[in-house]
Amino acid sequence: MTRNIHYYIIALCITCMVQVFGLSRLTLFNVSPDAVTIFLVFISLTISQRAGMSFGFAAGMLVGIFSGNMGLNMLARTAEGFLAGFFHIPETSHATTRQKTKLLYGAILLSGFTGNAILAAGYNPLGLHPVYRIVVLGLLQSLFTMLLAAIVNRLVLKKSFLD
Amino acid sequence: MQKFSTLFRRYNTWALFVVYCSTSLLFMKLQQDNTHIRMLHGAIEFTAFMAEKLTSYSYLFNMKKENDRMMRVNADLLSRVLILESAAVDKRNRQKILADTTINASGFIIAKVVDRKFSDRENMLLINAGWRNGIKKDMTVLTPAGLVGRVSAVSEHYSKVMPLIHTDFKVCVVSDKSNSMGVLSWSGGREFIAQVEHIPISSSLKLNEEMVTSEISTFAVSGIPVGRVVRIKPDKLFYTVDVRLAVDFSSLTHVLIAPLKPEPEKLEMDSDNAANEQLP
Repeated sequence: MTRNIHYYIIALCITCMVQVFGLSRLTLFNVSPDAVTIFLVFISLTISQRAGMSFGFAAGMLVGIFSGNMGLNMLARTAEGFLAGFFHIPETSHATTRQKTKLLYGAILLSGFTGNAILAAGYNPLGLHPVYRIVVLGLLQSLFTMLLAAIVNRLVLKKSFLD
Repeated sequence: MQKFSTLFRRYNTWALFVVYCSTSLLFMKLQQDNTHIRMLHGAIEFTAFMAEKLTSYSYLFNMKKENDRMMRVNADLLSRVLILESAAVDKRNRQKILADTTINASGFIIAKVVDRKFSDRENMLLINAGWRNGIKKDMTVLTPAGLVGRVSAVSEHYSKVMPLIHTDFKVCVVSDKSNSMGVLSWSGGREFIAQVEHIPISSSLKLNEEMVTSEISTFAVSGIPVGRVVRIKPDKLFYTVDVRLAVDFSSLTHVLIAPLKPEPEKLEMDSDNAANEQLP
């Protein structure tokens, strides 16, 4: 972990930039997939809950600088990392790849939904109804993120989830 | 003490979570702090720079020049139209003397929209003119078609614009024929429909009347078209009016920024009144 920390920090910065300048523009029904959530869930699952939380805090700061809501983003991302930590897979785990993948999607769904709910509660620029904003768009956002996670999982993450 | 350290070791993840959350909440509180604002300004510069670079590849050079020329022509025409409209309104109201709000559009600044975000997490426009170009917070942003929004944050070369289709945006409007006054705001939903409130039921507002910015507005120059009345719904005391906005936000490429209204006395009076209202 200590050896790889630099890579993880660089990966975090790249993910945040991709999210701010790329993915946030791919909106469908006013929501876009969230690569930062996937990254945080991956960190929480493979390293630890504390690492997920700390990376979440830093990610929130980075994304928040660009969106103008730093505190709120920090809170939401920290919560995402924290919640994903409950799905942490220890190194000694005997879980199969399939089980680990299920944990990944479960964590993304829960973290993504919660993060979105926190952001929705604090900032609602389109004046959407809170229930619609939190429940419908929250679920839609989580599903988009899961779709992106499925692609990323096939291309990159699967190596980390081998039995 | 040992008990405490054991307890802390056992629950250090929770403790860290609490620390992070507290820091986040502190940042939310300090949103207005100078350091924070400076950091945000730097981020605006960087975001705008990146967005401009990203979009400029798909932008044909000749079209850009032509667009700039057309915008200059539009700015001239707009200045004439606004002055004429303002004069017509004044004449109808039997006000012989031109008010000092008559628009002098020669001071308008032309800017290009370099980024636009319209999602449930962010709703803003980014233009390529900052305080170096004379932009100040709360300046009115418009196009020849009508009102676009107001400047909400300014950095050296770029500015953030809060569009009319933002739930926090409000502007005083007046209808061109019946002179009915109200407050226009956007409460979500379709991006081309906004609502006007506080128009008394006794007013003679009709469908298809044009709404323009009112002289009462603390930031907007008077006479800027905002939209047309498409629906009037009577309530107990006031009408709820739907207005089809004049500006198509989906195809904004250039905007004009009007100079600030120099009305310090009026603002002072407003703030005095607000302070008095709080008294029992």
